[in-house]
Amino acid sequence: MKKLIILSLMLAVAGFAYAAEKDAVHSIEIPVVKTELRAGEGMDTTEKYCSICHSLDYITMQPKFPKATWVVEVNKMIKVMGAPIPEADARVIIDYLSAQYGTGG
Amino acid sequence: MGPANFSRRNFLKAAGAVSAMAAVHGFPAELLAYERRMARFPEKTDLILLTSRPPQLETPLSYFKEMITPNEALFVRWHIANVPTSVDVNEWRLKVGGNTEKELALSLADLKKLEKVTFTAVIQCSGNGRSFFVPPVAGGEWGDGAMGNVTWTGARLRDILNSAGLKAGTVDVSFNGLDKPPLPTVPDLVKSLPVDKAMEEDLIVAYEMNGKPLTMLNGFPARLIVPGWYATYWVKSLSDITVLSKPFEGFWVKSAYRIPETDCGCVPPGTTPKKTVPINRMTTRSLIIDPSASSELTLNKPVTIMGVAFSGGRGIQDVIVSVDGGKRWEETRLGEDKGKYSWRQFFYEWRPAKPGRYALMARATDTIGESQPFEGLWNPAGYLWNKVEKTEVVVK
Repeated sequence: MKKLIILSLMLAVAGFAYAAEKDAVHSIEIPVVKTELRAGEGMDTTEKYCSICHSLDYITMQPKFPKATWVVEVNKMIKVMGAPIPEADARVIIDYLSAQYGTGG
Repeated sequence: MGPANFSRRNFLKAAGAVSAMAAVHGFPAELLAYERRMARFPEKTDLILLTSRPPQLETPLSYFKEMITPNEALFVRWHIANVPTSVDVNEWRLKVGGNTEKELALSLADLKKLEKVTFTAVIQCSGNGRSFFVPPVAGGEWGDGAMGNVTWTGARLRDILNSAGLKAGTVDVSFNGLDKPPLPTVPDLVKSLPVDKAMEEDLIVAYEMNGKPLTMLNGFPARLIVPGWYATYWVKSLSDITVLSKPFEGFWVKSAYRIPETDCGCVPPGTTPKKTVPINRMTTRSLIIDPSASSELTLNKPVTIMGVAFSGGRGIQDVIVSVDGGKRWEETRLGEDKGKYSWRQFFYEWRPAKPGRYALMARATDTIGESQPFEGLWNPAGYLWNKVEKTEVVVK
């Protein structure tokens, strides 16, 4: 009987310690949200490079910009934000963004 | 179904989102280049989804009817993709070093042993209102919901810095959090403050929001609070404080989050400022929350116009309201004063006596006379938005 009580106590203490340790770790799981880009020439290249660093809603939330603004934005991503986009692909991305998310100007 | 083909429709279902909206309250539909979606992220309620990786979530304006913004409704804004999603508080330490007498590695328990400070302060993203800029500017296209009023509890930054002991020649203090760039070439989010600002009495390292631990997406387990200043300085999931004997040169202060060095922090729309300075104190602003835009009101039925007003840490002197698009203005009654960093509610009793369309407007003035412009002041990054807004309602 005495042994049983001690065993129960030990289990209770172990359980408590486990709970405390578990409570010390705070975790969340961030949902994956798919954003569809508009179909058009250069979409795959745009998706491939831009989604390395951020979700594609970064593109779709922008107001329509003239091409000059998309040039500035894509160059900022490469030169300032460190995006590894070769020059030829950058031109494809700029053309795609200007065509699909641009003012036409 | 794997994440790769996790469609938007399924996400909305799975995440418990209520609806995708063509226009959110306060946004004229034609201003929106895309459809706003709602999403529910961990520890948060349904919020307006700007971006998912890293998460940027905006608070629906109806939550601002409450004096204190609930934790689950407070906006979320991260900069770089690898945001912290798991923290073991037994392992987490706030490291303090650099130009100091000694190095510290404070546990959460250590922080809680320091004098506990509690106050209510508005937290607002520098880019709150960016979507209203004309011509439009690139960035997080926030409406008015990248703000909230929260009661913060924590330890004074000054007490922490004094425990480490600042050495002579200190000029700046930098702050880094647990978020990490997705590539080594991407600049890590590190912010800095001039040492005089860092040593002010009211800056704290907060470990509670509204009496509870911080939510993970709002900076668990501790974040910097710089009341009166834009939230870009309120570094989340704080891990490192570095005391510097040379001016901080990091990207997020030296190149980003800068405003024109002019009295208004603005330049003629579409132009480039000659000189810029780091963004700092919030501008004075107010917003009518109730009735909401496009509300239908009943002729001769009294209605209380209610809203919130705040400043860059100088409290609110008064708020005036117009129901006729700015021709005549009336004083409002101010609600509870929860200190100079909190927002103040304002109330105006109105009985619409004629049917038709009305443009409701509010204009706040802080305790040193700083008020709000009637035209939007423009700067290239879309900061400091505080134009007197118009809320259109219909009386029938």
